[in-house]
Amino acid sequence: MTRPLAVIPAFNEAASLAAVVADLRASRTDLDILVVDDGSTDGTASLLDRLDVRWMRFPERVGIGTAMRAGLRYGERLGYDVVVRLDGDGQHRAGDVARLLQPIEERRADVVLGSRFTEPARERAGVVGVAQQLLARCLSALVGHPVTDPTSGFWALGPRAVRLLAEHLPTGYPEPEMRLFLSRNALRVVEVPVDAWPRLQGRTSLTPRHLAAAAARVALAMIVVPLRDRVSGARR
Amino acid sequence: MIDRIQIVTLTGSVALLLLVLELVRRRKLTEEYSLLWILASLGLLGVSLAYPPIVLVVFLIGVVFIAALCFSVIVSRQRQQIERLIEETAILAAEMRDVRAAHSTPDAGVSEGQPASRSAPNRPAK
Repeated sequence: MTRPLAVIPAFNEAASLAAVVADLRASRTDLDILVVDDGSTDGTASLLDRLDVRWMRFPERVGIGTAMRAGLRYGERLGYDVVVRLDGDGQHRAGDVARLLQPIEERRADVVLGSRFTEPARERAGVVGVAQQLLARCLSALVGHPVTDPTSGFWALGPRAVRLLAEHLPTGYPEPEMRLFLSRNALRVVEVPVDAWPRLQGRTSLTPRHLAAAAARVALAMIVVPLRDRVSGARR
Repeated sequence: MIDRIQIVTLTGSVALLLLVLELVRRRKLTEEYSLLWILASLGLLGVSLAYPPIVLVVFLIGVVFIAALCFSVIVSRQRQQIERLIEETAILAAEMRDVRAAHSTPDAGVSEGQPASRSAPNRPAK
C-alpha cells in the first residue's frame, strides 16, 4: 500500500499555483499535496493557507534543491513513501502523473523522470535548447543510459529514492546533478514521455548568465559526482 | 646582523601575532580559527629572521592562499549548515501546524475560523 504525495516547490508562483493545485486535485483524488515555498516575495505565502494543502515555507530563498529536500523529509516523516514532484508554474500536466507513477507501482523503477523530448520531432530552440542537447549527450554517456531531458522537473520517486534523496538531494542546480547521483548510487531510473505546456506565468530562471554558471556547475558535477563514495543505504 | 627590512618584517609579524591574541582575548575570533593565524605569524617571524625578503614574499603569498582556501571551506560548511537549519525550521513549523490542527479538530465548533484549522491536512491518513 503506497501513499503518494505531490510536492510542488514554488518560488513566486502566486499567479499559477492555485490552478496547478486545482488541476491536480481534479485529476487525482488519491494524491495529497505539499507546497514548499522557497521564500517567495509575491504573495505566494498568503495563498498557501487558502489552498487547503499541506505547505511549508522558507523564510529566505535558499534554492529549489533545498526546498525539495525539505519537502521529501517532511513527507517521509508523515509516512508518505512515494513522491511526485512537479513545478508550480503549470508546465506539467496533472494527467501525466499516472504515467509517472506506473513504473513505481509495478516496482520496476526507483525513480521515474518525465521527459519532454523523447520524440525527436520536438525541436529545442535557442541557446538553452542547444545547451540542453549537449548536456543530454554528456549525461547519457556518463550514466550509460539515454537521458533525453536532463533538466526535467517532473519526477516520481519510489520508497528507496524518497529515503535517499530526503537526505542527499543535490542543491544548487539539482536536476542534472541528481541524475548523476542516482546512477552513482545504483537507483533504477526510467524515463517516460510527458507533455509540457508553456509556463502559465512567470519567467524561466535560465538567463544566459545563469546558464553559464549552471553549465560550469554541471561540468564540475560530471567529474566529481562519479568519484564520490556511495551514500550509506544505497544498494551494492 | 639585522638590517632595516628585517626590522620592518619582524615588527610586522610580532604585531600580527599580538593582534590575533588580542582578538582571541576579546572573543572576536574563536580559538578554532585563530590557530591558523597564530601559526602563520610565527612562521612569518621565523622566515623574516632567517631568510632573504623574497622568500618572505613567497611564504606570505602561500599563507594568504591557504588561509583563503580554509575560509572557503568554512563558508561552504556554514552554507550547508544554514540550508539544513532552514529545512528543519520549515519542517518543524509545518509539524506544529499539524499538531495544532489535530488538537482543534475534536471540538470543530470552537476552532472554526481559527488559522490552525485552515491548515488541517487535506486528507486524513489512510
